[in-house]
Amino acid sequence: MNKFLREISALPRDARDTLFLLIVIALIVLPQAENLPWWCTAITAMVLVYRGTLAVEARPLPGKWARVGLLALALAATFATHRTLLGRDAGVTLVVILLALKTLELRARRDAFVLFFLGFFAMLTNFFYSQSLMTAVTMLLALLGLLTALVNAHMPVGKPPLMLAARTASWMALLGAPIMLALFLLFPRLAPLWGTPSDAMAGRTGLSNTMRVGTIAQLAMDDGIAARIKFENDRVPPQSQLYFRGPVLAQFDGREWTALPPWSRGAPASSNLRTSGQPVRYEVTLEPSHRPWLLTVDAAQSPPEVPGFEVLGTPDLQWLANRPISDLVRYRAESFTQFQSGPTRQTAALRPYLALPPGSNPRTAALAAQMHAEPALANADTPAFVQAALQRLRTGGYTYTLEPGFYGNDTADEFWFDRKEGFCEHIASAFVVLMRGLGIPARIVTGYQGGELNGVDNYWVLRQSDAHAWAEVWQEGVGWTRVDPTGAVSPGRIGQFQRLVPQPGLFAGAIGTLSPTLAQNVRAAWEAVNNSWNQWVLNYTQSRQLNLLKSIGFGAPSLEDLAYVLLYLLVGASLAGAGWALWERSQHDPWLRLLAQARARLAKAGLEVPETAPPRQMAAQAEARFGPSALSVRDWLLKLEAQRYAKASPESLAALRTEFRRLAWPEPAPRR
Amino acid sequence: MIASLRSRIDGWFLSRRPPSDTLELTQRNVYIVPTRAGWLLGATLLVLLVASINYQLNLGYLLTFLLAGSVAVGMHVCHATLRGLAMHLMPPEPHYAGAAAVFRVVLHNTRRSVRYGIGMAVRGSGQWAWTDVPAEGSATVEIAFQPERRGLHPVPPLTAETRFPLGTFRVWTVWRPAAKMLVYPTPEAHPPPLPPGEPLSGPAATSAALRAQAAGEYDGLRAYRRGDPLKLVVWKKAARAQATGSEDLVSRDTQQTQREELWLDAQAAGLADTEARLSRLCAWVLMADRLGVDYGIRVAGRVLQPSQGEAHRRACLEALALC
Repeated sequence: MNKFLREISALPRDARDTLFLLIVIALIVLPQAENLPWWCTAITAMVLVYRGTLAVEARPLPGKWARVGLLALALAATFATHRTLLGRDAGVTLVVILLALKTLELRARRDAFVLFFLGFFAMLTNFFYSQSLMTAVTMLLALLGLLTALVNAHMPVGKPPLMLAARTASWMALLGAPIMLALFLLFPRLAPLWGTPSDAMAGRTGLSNTMRVGTIAQLAMDDGIAARIKFENDRVPPQSQLYFRGPVLAQFDGREWTALPPWSRGAPASSNLRTSGQPVRYEVTLEPSHRPWLLTVDAAQSPPEVPGFEVLGTPDLQWLANRPISDLVRYRAESFTQFQSGPTRQTAALRPYLALPPGSNPRTAALAAQMHAEPALANADTPAFVQAALQRLRTGGYTYTLEPGFYGNDTADEFWFDRKEGFCEHIASAFVVLMRGLGIPARIVTGYQGGELNGVDNYWVLRQSDAHAWAEVWQEGVGWTRVDPTGAVSPGRIGQFQRLVPQPGLFAGAIGTLSPTLAQNVRAAWEAVNNSWNQWVLNYTQSRQLNLLKSIGFGAPSLEDLAYVLLYLLVGASLAGAGWALWERSQHDPWLRLLAQARARLAKAGLEVPETAPPRQMAAQAEARFGPSALSVRDWLLKLEAQRYAKASPESLAALRTEFRRLAWPEPAPRR
Repeated sequence: MIASLRSRIDGWFLSRRPPSDTLELTQRNVYIVPTRAGWLLGATLLVLLVASINYQLNLGYLLTFLLAGSVAVGMHVCHATLRGLAMHLMPPEPHYAGAAAVFRVVLHNTRRSVRYGIGMAVRGSGQWAWTDVPAEGSATVEIAFQPERRGLHPVPPLTAETRFPLGTFRVWTVWRPAAKMLVYPTPEAHPPPLPPGEPLSGPAATSAALRAQAAGEYDGLRAYRRGDPLKLVVWKKAARAQATGSEDLVSRDTQQTQREELWLDAQAAGLADTEARLSRLCAWVLMADRLGVDYGIRVAGRVLQPSQGEAHRRACLEALALC
């Protein structure tokens, strides 16, 4: 590495500066490479490497037509990939490809500036995909790199070492940090100025409001964090009771489960929640999901208090915010893990929970009929049927796997009779289809189950891989009750730490083989750091801004107050700057100032003394000009000289200054 | 209209500062404006901010504000690069009109850090000379310049500029030095040969003739001058002179052999245009100086007796410049 650096700095200045800029650009593009179309990454890498060799070998840049051709190709490819040139993803692709192509056109100063500005945009586009601490650190480095290149470009003389420019850039960033902090804390956090394009949600993982068999399996591979929960007094309920409720799906078209349309769900009041036991209190930090769902432990009776949002409940016990969560939010909630809900008597509202698409899953329907006909289940009630179905799952040779393969049209039939393996969504879906076949109202609840404790900061961490689907069945006299059929197939999935673990990454794998506990500790520490990053930086929202104002004494702060505080700070800083400039001006040597005053006084008396004259020369000139009337002035000037240059100064400067004021100055000679 | 207004504003702007050969740059005479790149960066910041708002990216806010903070600091760094700098103009050498010339300016930096990327130029010429001024040290800049008219002119207004560190701001100052600079006429590129000498006349002629007679030789003689090569010394005569008590050596004076004097006369230059005539005279002066012959000039009522040497050449050129 050192050798490499030395070789770079030994290059001619042009080549060295270009290489440095190319490296910084690579640093900007690299973190988002996986989110770019493959061709974009490939072209960018090729162009950067090609430009680098051109620089090292001091060969001419490609002609105009080659660049225009490449640009046209890139535009066409962008359009082919995204079907548009607008919108976020197409924009990101374009910014990156333009950034790369612009390096082929580094001639005028203007080109260099365009490159820098594209670079700043490309840094921002990273944040669409990740705002993690790692991304932040990488982009801080990249920003310093770009600033260094910019500073270096404005050192026109010779070949200054890059470290010099880097030091200046770092100083500027360091001194700019307080400005950043003030603006970050106080710049009013506005709602989006216009609707963000829909593809803003693309590429984000998380639960969706539909469940096509096979989608949660994708989530199982995703180690991303969905939410962090801090339980009050660290009293965590048993893990087997930690069901975090997401969308409730009751409409089935044979392959896909969707939520019932709002009008057939009934009034919010009809949730009719009946709880028992002690409530659990906790605080949730929800990662942005771009969905309005607020995760709560099943089931929360009162709405969670989310600052800045209005919260409403649905009849199926879900809590929704009035707009999608596009930002990290934090809220408190209170839940009861033992509960029942819904009507206790058979009503018309239950009819949608019995509907099955006609003609689908015929064998499951036959199974239901067969179970009805079984003598053991004659006159059986709902719990008995549920138990029978769970018994079948336990003993029928069903297995739990993350890779169940591709399911056809009759998913329930395939699960019950053919494949007999699947993931929670297959199991829950097949279970609910069977229940409905038996005439029991049933529905699917999606959400998260389980989670784990981070030992470092005691936050309970819920990952995307904890996404789960379970069932609720309705029972006369009781209401809706939770049944988790996955637990019957794979008891380990529910309530214990054993998850199906996807292949670990290279790094985690290496540490894991060395010491599993070390890997766990490292990960816990890292996530604790990340969590505080989330809590303090990413979760800094409008409500926290207003809280900040409250804490510095505003009664009922508003966004305008933020602007005012910012304005005051600006005015204060300007005044301080002006004051500093004044102070700096007065920082001239006091001795020199006194000498200048004496010179001015002599000039008033008619004797012009050059600025460079020392006191002794001034004294001689004054004496020559004014004769005996200038004796006291001469003595004073000599004392002034002694004050500065004598080994032991006989008089203080202050005393000389006082004397200066009382001195008898010679009168100006009358004009002739 | 706008051009005249602009030049009037410019004149007023220049007349506000007293001319001086030393200029210390302070808050009062250093100006700052954003460059085009600066405005572009401002627009970039705005777009970054809007993107951060619209996509609710807190990290985007951080990036935008850190960049803005750095640019704000850069503005101060840029201003401080010039502020506190002392500039001193070395006395300008005389130059020929139309020829490339330089001014030497010494920049003094009392600060304990280096000032990078300071450019100096004659105002409006666009020929920048860039330099760094070391910490607590000084640097000399040579400002390229092409004087246009002969004569004694004030040194044109100079300007110092820097865009360090980010190029987003241009900090500049205008400096009106007090020194005057002498500009000789442009030497004619392909002048005709020197004019024929005029026969000696007047006291100089007679004395030369007498000398020639006394010596009985055609070689002219003159007193030994320091630097004359020994082979020019007429040893016989020197011995004879020493015999009469004089210590002086005698040199052979080749020019005197002409018995004619070279007079460069504006009237005889054969051109109607004054400047063209002066150009030709200038070229002749240089030519005669190179040949090492004595020459005198007569121009616009001024007469310089024939002579030679550096001082004489300067005096002649000065006469040509100022007439």
